[in-house]
Amino acid sequence: MTGIKSTITKLSLAVVAMYGFSYALVPIYDTFCEITGLNGKTNEVAYVANDIKEDNRFVTVKFISNVANSAPLYFEPSVSEMTVQVGKPYNTHYVMKNNSSKQLHTTASPSVTPGKHAEYFKKIECFCFNQQTINAGEVKDLGIQFIIDNELPNDSGDIVLSYTMFDISNNIKETNKL
Amino acid sequence: MSANIDHLKEEHHQPSGLMRWITTTNHKDIGSLYLWFSLLMFFVGGLMALVIRAELFQPGLQFVVPGFFNQMTTMHALIMIFGAVMPAFVGLANWQLPMMIGAPDMALPRLNNWSFWILPFAFTMLLSTLFFESGGPAAGWTLYPPLSLQGGNSMPFVIFSLHLLGASSILGAINVIATILNMRAPGMTLMKMPIFVWTWLITAFLLIASMPVLAGAITMLLTDRFYGTSFFTAAGGGDPVLFQHIFWFFGHPEVYILILPAFGIVSTIIPAFSRKKLFGYDSMVYATASIALLSFIVWAHHMFTVGMPLAGEIFFMFTTMLIAVPTGVKVFNWVATMWKGSMTFETPMLFALAFIILFTIGGFSGLMLAITPADFQYHDTYFVVAHFHYVLVPGAVFAIIAAVYYWLPKWTGKMYNETLGKIHFWMTTIFVNITFFPMHFVGLAGMPRRIPDYAVQFTDFNMIASVGAFGFGLSQLLFVYILFLTLRQPVTAADKSWEGAEGLEWTLPSPAPYHSFDTPPKVD
Amino acid sequence: MNRLSILIVSMLVPLTTLADWEVNMPRGVSPTANAAYDLHMLIFYITVVIGIVVFGVMFYSIYHHRKSKGAKPASFHESTTVEVIWTVIPFVILVGMAIPATKTLIMMEDTRNSEITVKVTGYQWMWKYDYVEDDVSFFSKLADSSNEARQLGSKIDVNKVDNYLLNVDNEMVLPTNTKVRILLTASDVIHAWWVPEITGKKDAIPGYINELWVDIKEPGVYRGQCTELCGKDHGFMPIVVRAVPKEEYTKWVSLNQKNRVADKSK
Ligand code: HEM
Ligand SMILES: [Cu+2]
Ligand SMILES: [Cu+2]
Repeated sequence: MTGIKSTITKLSLAVVAMYGFSYALVPIYDTFCEITGLNGKTNEVAYVANDIKEDNRFVTVKFISNVANSAPLYFEPSVSEMTVQVGKPYNTHYVMKNNSSKQLHTTASPSVTPGKHAEYFKKIECFCFNQQTINAGEVKDLGIQFIIDNELPNDSGDIVLSYTMFDISNNIKETNKL
Repeated sequence: MSANIDHLKEEHHQPSGLMRWITTTNHKDIGSLYLWFSLLMFFVGGLMALVIRAELFQPGLQFVVPGFFNQMTTMHALIMIFGAVMPAFVGLANWQLPMMIGAPDMALPRLNNWSFWILPFAFTMLLSTLFFESGGPAAGWTLYPPLSLQGGNSMPFVIFSLHLLGASSILGAINVIATILNMRAPGMTLMKMPIFVWTWLITAFLLIASMPVLAGAITMLLTDRFYGTSFFTAAGGGDPVLFQHIFWFFGHPEVYILILPAFGIVSTIIPAFSRKKLFGYDSMVYATASIALLSFIVWAHHMFTVGMPLAGEIFFMFTTMLIAVPTGVKVFNWVATMWKGSMTFETPMLFALAFIILFTIGGFSGLMLAITPADFQYHDTYFVVAHFHYVLVPGAVFAIIAAVYYWLPKWTGKMYNETLGKIHFWMTTIFVNITFFPMHFVGLAGMPRRIPDYAVQFTDFNMIASVGAFGFGLSQLLFVYILFLTLRQPVTAADKSWEGAEGLEWTLPSPAPYHSFDTPPKVD
Repeated sequence: MNRLSILIVSMLVPLTTLADWEVNMPRGVSPTANAAYDLHMLIFYITVVIGIVVFGVMFYSIYHHRKSKGAKPASFHESTTVEVIWTVIPFVILVGMAIPATKTLIMMEDTRNSEITVKVTGYQWMWKYDYVEDDVSFFSKLADSSNEARQLGSKIDVNKVDNYLLNVDNEMVLPTNTKVRILLTASDVIHAWWVPEITGKKDAIPGYINELWVDIKEPGVYRGQCTELCGKDHGFMPIVVRAVPKEEYTKWVSLNQKNRVADKSK
């Protein structure tokens, strides 16, 4: 019977470990995404430019915007496209307007395509690092500063940067209630 | 023999009637409970399939609204997978494993009782959500967020019942492993175990490794919905695609959980009716093990269209194609077993032969699906529906039916009616093909899956499929009738019911005694 | 009833009468769709050959090695040599399949050098098309005629509806012989955009952006559907692409261009 007991113990541990593993997949996946650019995820905290060198290549960056769940927001890039020099920081901004009669809390989710180029698109400053609060009728400029890493392979074509704006006012209200 | 009969008498101290079944810790009683429960769920899930096929008989909506249709597809899948096929295999394991390895019972009888009795509660809860005002789950059995997060009140109940089902499977798997590793008759080394025991051992490990991952995934769904986490919503930095990765990390091993025991059954029946030993026993064991291992690194082939990086797509394409190698080895070994045998074609053999052909057809379409650029066309169409039904119905379900016919005389001491069995076989096989073969065509022609209504050019094949589905359903009523007739007979079956059958279970009397082997047999 | 008779006949006569029924993937009108079609046929024929060999041996055995014909069972039951052979041969066949498949995949994933970009957004339950360079933007949903007919108990004969379930109010217009980059995303839940003759499908995921490219070689109207379960009207959000020569496309753009709403930067 000791054989059976030790089998049970080992298997129970395996079950617990596999349950833990499912949660471990969350950070593993994030790391994986960052390395491979899976899903076009970009850096989530400000990039501190240090070792990027200017070079004389130019790439076109296209700016795209989306509003999730048809929230009452106007959200568009100020320019739809820029041709930028690799390794040089640039500024641009998006414009957001609250078309509702209430104050809203929003947050933006960035995504770059082709995903494999996401890692070369470095955001030095981005409104997507924080949540926004926007009053009824208010218009806001949301700035980004970015730099294209000179490690970018040659011949990589255009880069598309997309932001999806989410209205998270309800979630915030709910967490406050808790 | 007489010792066994004495033993039977001894057992009569136990409670009778309903209490006997509720409190039983006997592997045969529990095996029967599992099998009857599975049959019931097979019909419940089947009725839902018929609702689906009735609606799809013609274009235009005739019977149900789209929301209800989606509940039917979701429930049908959950019930067939977790309620019909998995419990049937556990039932077979309960009946057969102790007899096949020369043990008196399962290693953990009380645990065994719990793992069965969890099921009726879980399914009552799952099915009751259909009567909620907001309806049952409708996001597909794969529960992809954000859609599944939109659902009504059913969601926590569905998740809780899935947790229960997972727990039941895990307990069952622990029991199976503990039994196989510790209770084999002296002399039965691992490489002498019957192949069905081997496939179940490997399946049990797959369960242990994959069910907790499902539990994790659905718990994250639950906390995303109710506790403000955002594992899967982009608004909070999460990613809906992450759910798909976790789900299929469970899901692909799960599809092998649904087929490995079937491989074991077919590998038992083919030699018995070919009167020749299984060809390549060792390679069968290794093939099963490598399928199981590979099943953990192919998951993303279910999600080629989510936009993975090129390297990922290539990796998962190659690993998936690789699975075809050990699968092919199994098929070749079965054919080699028949080669120069001395075959007869009783009902279990017929089902096993149909299994080989039709499962292989499902394997071929699987191979086509593995080719990523082609899968961009096939994915989420009826072609995929055809694929997985070929591997699951004439695959898993045929194997279960074959097993029931094969071991029924051992379990009950009564022989089924061979003519009716053959009629059942031919009806089932013909209708299964009428139902599922045309789905390849409409899928290739562009019909998406999970839709309640379709463009008119898909009408003809859908009509054929619907006719086939009702025919298939009807044929299974014949199965129930055959079981009923068999059980009403007196005990007449021989201890060894099939000329070519091998294994310890055939050394026991028919019906098998309540405790299988009190004194372990010697195996050399 | 006519359909019923078709049904009965089709079940009685061999497949030849089904010649004009759609049983296969349509040939495409773009390099990617054609490549998928070619791969599909290649793999299909390979599986047919394997099937004929394996089932052939099996049926031979079933016919000749049966007890009723007096067959006596042989006693062989293992051979490392044959096991190795039937491991290696399939492996080699698979490598032969993997090579063209990988090439095609690399070609499909290369979105560089596209001339125009269209963003496609999935909504419950319609699509939105934004022509990124040209300020053209519109929603596209199931045509009213289909929408009325599809209601439960509508009593409308769907066979008489023009392109039942595959027709929209506003078609997506694309130029032929032009590499178009399609960006995919969604507003609410995951959808998938698929027009079989033009391109394989790709998911439209809220918060994230995916891409694919098309290059339509023949003018025409191509129809597709959403292929990711997206809620109750998942079956009712078709896609219609009208491919026209470049000049016509330019005209269409200038007709549909609008000034962007509410100027933002100033
Ligand atoms: C040669 C072996 C096999 C290969 C290469 C294969 C490949 C695949 C692929 C690539 C898909 C995804 C198709 C898509 O969604 O686009 C798929 C789906 C599926 N397969 Fe297989 N398969 C094989 C055997 C099996 C077996 C043995 C089973 C179970 C008994 C199975 C059950 C399923 C199921 C249930 C799905 C659909 C899941 C869903 O989307 O709901 N397959 N298969
Ligand atoms: Cu799979
Ligand atoms: Cu959809």
